[in-house]
Amino acid sequence: MTTEIVEYEKADFEPGLQREETEYVGKGTKDRSFMSLIGKTKSLYRMGSLSFWMVLFLAIIIPCASFLLLAVSPRLFGQGSQFFTLSNFKAVFNGTTMLALTNSLWVASLAALLGVFCAIPLAWLFHRSDLPFKKVFSAAMWLVLLIPSWIPAIGWERFVNPEGILARIHLWAPWQGNLIMGPFGIVLLLGLRNIPFSYLAISNALSGLGQEFEHSAQVHGASRFQTAKLVVPILFPAILSGLAIGFAEAISDFGVAATLAYSSHFTLATYYIFQEIGNFPPNFPVAAAFSWLVVLAVAVPLYVQAKLSRGRSHQILSGRSRQVVVKRLSAPVKAAVIFCLCLFYFVAVGIPTIGVVSSSLLSDFGSSLHITFINYEKVFTTAGLGAPLERSIEYAAITASITVMVAFVAARKLTKTKGKSAKILDFILLSSVALPGIVFAAGYIFAYNLPFLSKIGINLYQTTTLLVIAYIATSLPTNVRMLFGSVSQVSDSLNNAARVHGAGPVRSWLRAILPPLSRPVVTAWLLAFTAILLELPVSELLYAPGSPPASIAIQDNLGNYHFGIGMAQAVVATFVAFAVVGTVFALYRLIAPRGWRRIGGTARV
Amino acid sequence: MIAAAGLLSVCLSATEAVSANASTVHHKKKVSSSKTTTKTTTKIANPIPLVVYSAQGYDKAETTAFSKKYHIPVSLDDNSTGPLLTQIEASKNNPKWGLLWVDGSTAFAALDRQGLLIHGFEPKVNFDSLGLASVPSDKSWVPTGVTLMAAMVYNKQKVTSPPTSWQQLLSAKWKGKVGMNDPSQSGPTYPFVAGMMNYLGSVAKGEKYFTSLKANGLVVNPTNGPTLTALANGQIDVALVQSSAGIGAAMSDKSFVVKYLNPVTLLPSCIGIDKKAPKKEQEEAKLFAEYVLSQAGQKVMQHGDPTGDSLYYPVVQGVNPLPNLPKLGGVKTQSINPYTWGPLESSVNSWFTAHIVQ
Repeated sequence: MTTEIVEYEKADFEPGLQREETEYVGKGTKDRSFMSLIGKTKSLYRMGSLSFWMVLFLAIIIPCASFLLLAVSPRLFGQGSQFFTLSNFKAVFNGTTMLALTNSLWVASLAALLGVFCAIPLAWLFHRSDLPFKKVFSAAMWLVLLIPSWIPAIGWERFVNPEGILARIHLWAPWQGNLIMGPFGIVLLLGLRNIPFSYLAISNALSGLGQEFEHSAQVHGASRFQTAKLVVPILFPAILSGLAIGFAEAISDFGVAATLAYSSHFTLATYYIFQEIGNFPPNFPVAAAFSWLVVLAVAVPLYVQAKLSRGRSHQILSGRSRQVVVKRLSAPVKAAVIFCLCLFYFVAVGIPTIGVVSSSLLSDFGSSLHITFINYEKVFTTAGLGAPLERSIEYAAITASITVMVAFVAARKLTKTKGKSAKILDFILLSSVALPGIVFAAGYIFAYNLPFLSKIGINLYQTTTLLVIAYIATSLPTNVRMLFGSVSQVSDSLNNAARVHGAGPVRSWLRAILPPLSRPVVTAWLLAFTAILLELPVSELLYAPGSPPASIAIQDNLGNYHFGIGMAQAVVATFVAFAVVGTVFALYRLIAPRGWRRIGGTARV
Repeated sequence: MIAAAGLLSVCLSATEAVSANASTVHHKKKVSSSKTTTKTTTKIANPIPLVVYSAQGYDKAETTAFSKKYHIPVSLDDNSTGPLLTQIEASKNNPKWGLLWVDGSTAFAALDRQGLLIHGFEPKVNFDSLGLASVPSDKSWVPTGVTLMAAMVYNKQKVTSPPTSWQQLLSAKWKGKVGMNDPSQSGPTYPFVAGMMNYLGSVAKGEKYFTSLKANGLVVNPTNGPTLTALANGQIDVALVQSSAGIGAAMSDKSFVVKYLNPVTLLPSCIGIDKKAPKKEQEEAKLFAEYVLSQAGQKVMQHGDPTGDSLYYPVVQGVNPLPNLPKLGGVKTQSINPYTWGPLESSVNSWFTAHIVQ
């Protein structure tokens, strides 16, 4: 049954048929102005496409290639005496490095699965049931997303420490520390962080899925299980997106690797790379050789995801209206679900918040329980403590705006284009998503600080421009994956219909394509914004002297003598991020036409 | 912000007044040095931005005061030592820094070995014994202050009879109760590890000591902050951290006590100047180093980060340590040869990560 429907959709939107349709329209209206319009459209498209590839080339390909090239040619970048060598690869094939890589692979796999397994029921509950407070619970998902991974890690550590919060309230037991300070805790934290990514991808797809598929299955006598077998594959791209994003985010995560995993003596790949680069003198060539392995390890499963998604059509967003019946839950089920959700948010948000906020409310290093707001006072009154946050908000807003535009084009190219260019684009994005931020940043230094560039007057290193470009490059792959599921569901029939009714290419895009994708685009913008607001590894190596972003200021305080102030800054920054999310969604609700919010969604009955 | 700027302005005015009213023999020399400085200033017409890479808590105050006095724009990259050194190594084909100011001479020795630092520059100041012990023979970097690695910090309410020697830390009494920083994450900690190896006689003997310490339940945290937090929340009873961090913590938490075990390793904060920087920027960097070591500059250093890096032992005569610093009388200090221990940093840190941290 699934196959029949998919085939039907596929036949409807065969690329060949689209071409014929366009040609037919062209033949039918052979006036000069129309041909000129077509010509202008084509050149506009070519220019846009060229700009897109230029952005990718400069922002991702050159820095990534520079760093990876370093593994075989250190001398090219002044990091050794050999123009060609494979010795750095030999250096990484030892027990310690392989252990770090293996640890990262299985931890990231489990974290990705945990994310999706939790996200599917959550998306269904929030979109298809009459669960009370579901809007509150749905909004709270952003809290999980907004908090940088190192904050929950520190919060949990403070919670389960032998002398931590649980011990102070006489609820501590050794097994708690052993459980959290080990692989279980690492998978749990990374998995919890993956839930919002998977949830956003799946809920965006679910909101566009009407109930006609379920009805048709039921009409043909399908059981609940068989109905699920029909519906789940339609959500396949979104589920795969969720898995892919989760896997990539977990394997390239540095926050948990440098805190909880480090304290648990459980080395992950990103931390190993950090050590090679952070040691003095840094061993860039060996770090580059190890990065090759990480890229390959991540590229293979992500390639499979892309292959599976691109092999079939999953278009469900067309001009037809959708209706869904909201599932009415019984009172005991509602109570049980609400209890589970409260537990989930307590584990994901509550415990880290208690851990972090309690640290920010202690004036000393935490030996007394005397509560004070002195750290917050300093953040708001001391010159220089608030400026980094203002700066980061600006950087994050610029980055998010550019990233979403480029990511949209990339997602569209990935879903609609067939041939080598799509495969190359896929490979570039997959490779870059696997590279940890610190590697990316080092690649930027090698690529954009070459002496010949200075000689021709290009001095990008240590400028805000290069920092923002690097931010865009780091947030782009995840953003593309986030939009991929939604974009792949948009049928070309929407655009075709607009064109048939006389709309130009830009107008038809604005009137037919943008409305159903407006919410995913807004979501992607917020995702990029929040990710950049407290981004650390890239900022550390590339920020312009004199203009430190928030993460640098926080790290500086946490690592040295002002732990409480650092924690207070982190709490304020997270609060700002949440306020931005709330404001943007409120503005969307106020400004976006009602139809935009409805199109692509489902009408509830 | 206005209040803070006003305070800084008052502080700087007072500093200049102290400097101007100096009357001892040494201070006369300082005045003479100041004349030299002034002479140098007149040479720096049309100044270019001086790019300062610094990990010091007082660097913002110091660069601001310097800019104000000499009208030389300063671009400050205030970061941890690790990222700063990574930046320097990654960009050594085309360096963008002018002056590096971090703790620990071993990193400077390694940079010097790579030919990245200018030689032969010595500010016209009278170094005291701590300063003289920290000046390299080829004058490729300049010490600006000294902290000690490692200071022992403990909670006097929990620990009534603290350890009195490094060997005592290996006893059953301190099992699972001693914490220190990870040298691959904490810049000042490698000199401590190297210092212990130097004191014990060889790398192998040092490795044996840290292996025994680990067998006795050593807790390793990334940096000073987390190690002191572990002490505060009772996870450990004895923290081995940088002296300035320990003294700063003791200022805010009155139950903390700082003691030194013999010997402690001198950890000089140093300034090095980029050999590939434009000549004008190098001159500005020299002027900056001289200003830092002047009475006015030292005053700014001692007030720029009062509960942190300002808690250092001065290296120039005529400048007294802040009152909160424990006296060094009776404390045996040692300097490690940065040219011997600098090149070993990578291998020692890798060993530490593989055998002690893991």
